[in-house]
Amino acid sequence: MELSLGTMLFQLVTFIILMLLVSKFALRPMLGVLKQRQDYIDKQISTAEENRKEAEKMAEKQKEALNEARREAKEILERAKAQKDREAEEIIKEARERAERMLQDAKSEIASEKEKALKELRDEVGHLTVLLASKVMEKELDSKDQSKLVDRYLERVGELQ
Amino acid sequence: MELSPKVEFLGLSFDVPVMIGTVFTAIVVLLLTVLATRNPKMRPGGLQNLVEMLLDFVRGILNISFDSKTAEKYLGFALTLFLFIFIANQLGVMLMVTTEVHHPIPSLGITGDDLEESHAAVWFKSPTADLNVTVVMAVAISLFAHFMGIFRDAKGYFSHYMQPNPLMFPIHLVDEIAKPTTHALRLWANIFAGEVLITIMITYGNPLTTGAPLLVWLGYSLFVGTIQAYVFTVLASVYIAQKTVQDH
Repeated sequence: MELSLGTMLFQLVTFIILMLLVSKFALRPMLGVLKQRQDYIDKQISTAEENRKEAEKMAEKQKEALNEARREAKEILERAKAQKDREAEEIIKEARERAERMLQDAKSEIASEKEKALKELRDEVGHLTVLLASKVMEKELDSKDQSKLVDRYLERVGELQ
Repeated sequence: MELSPKVEFLGLSFDVPVMIGTVFTAIVVLLLTVLATRNPKMRPGGLQNLVEMLLDFVRGILNISFDSKTAEKYLGFALTLFLFIFIANQLGVMLMVTTEVHHPIPSLGITGDDLEESHAAVWFKSPTADLNVTVVMAVAISLFAHFMGIFRDAKGYFSHYMQPNPLMFPIHLVDEIAKPTTHALRLWANIFAGEVLITIMITYGNPLTTGAPLLVWLGYSLFVGTIQAYVFTVLASVYIAQKTVQDH
């Protein structure tokens, strides 16, 4: 087996042509699609990461909102309870005041009625006395008749009393 | 040894089985890669998957000796080289075509003297089993590496021969000559020896005695062909990197 320049040249030229053809028609589109895929994967990963961050932020926000709502509900409940207590107390106090006032009114009415009765009695007694005196003066009565008359009036006083 | 038909053209002699094998291999490589990438998709499937795997494999080979940016420049070269040698190595294992020759055929370079030796003329075999092919590939790669080295940094290139002192110059010279020589001979010898043994077992052996060893040897030859394609590609990238990358 001897070396021949022709065979060598043929081999070299064939290989170089093959290399150029493979590079142009196979490698270039292949690298293009590989690059495209790489970009696509990169994009997908960064999007996913962004989405995850967004979701985490959202969850945090929701948690905060939930806490806020819970706190608010508690506050409202407490406020309502306090108001209820206050109102109940007020109602009781009012009722008590009213009862007191009614009692007071009744008492004062009773007192005034009593006063009125006594005054009427006094007037009546005065009147009777005057009547008696005029009667005594009018008729000169004997002592017997006079005592009878006094007894009768006293009796009437007793009935009136 | 079988006869190898040759044709003369423009005063140069061309080996016919090498030309057939090389063109056939080139067509297979081109069809494989172009069909796989004719309609490249974002979601690879079938042949595209295979070629993408090969591309990753070749990129791995280049990354041994280049940084990843330079590696991209040699991707086409390394991919073609690996596929070409891989398929060329398997051709002779899969299929060898020989014919019987009884009369001298001067137009094919077969003379009466040759017929004394053998009557078999080979038409189809591994191009890498021919010394011409591996020598021209190794020498071309070596020359390319040297030219790239001079082109990049001529002073550094020549001063390298005098490192660590001028006395080492002959050793460097031997090194530079040995590199392409071993590069070529390693591939050629592996494939050639494989084919010779296959031929011997088929033509001289009794199928009862050599049948089983032949099967084993065929399997082994496929393995060797793959390994040698890998080794040749790795060494090609290493030799180029040695001359073109500054710190080696």
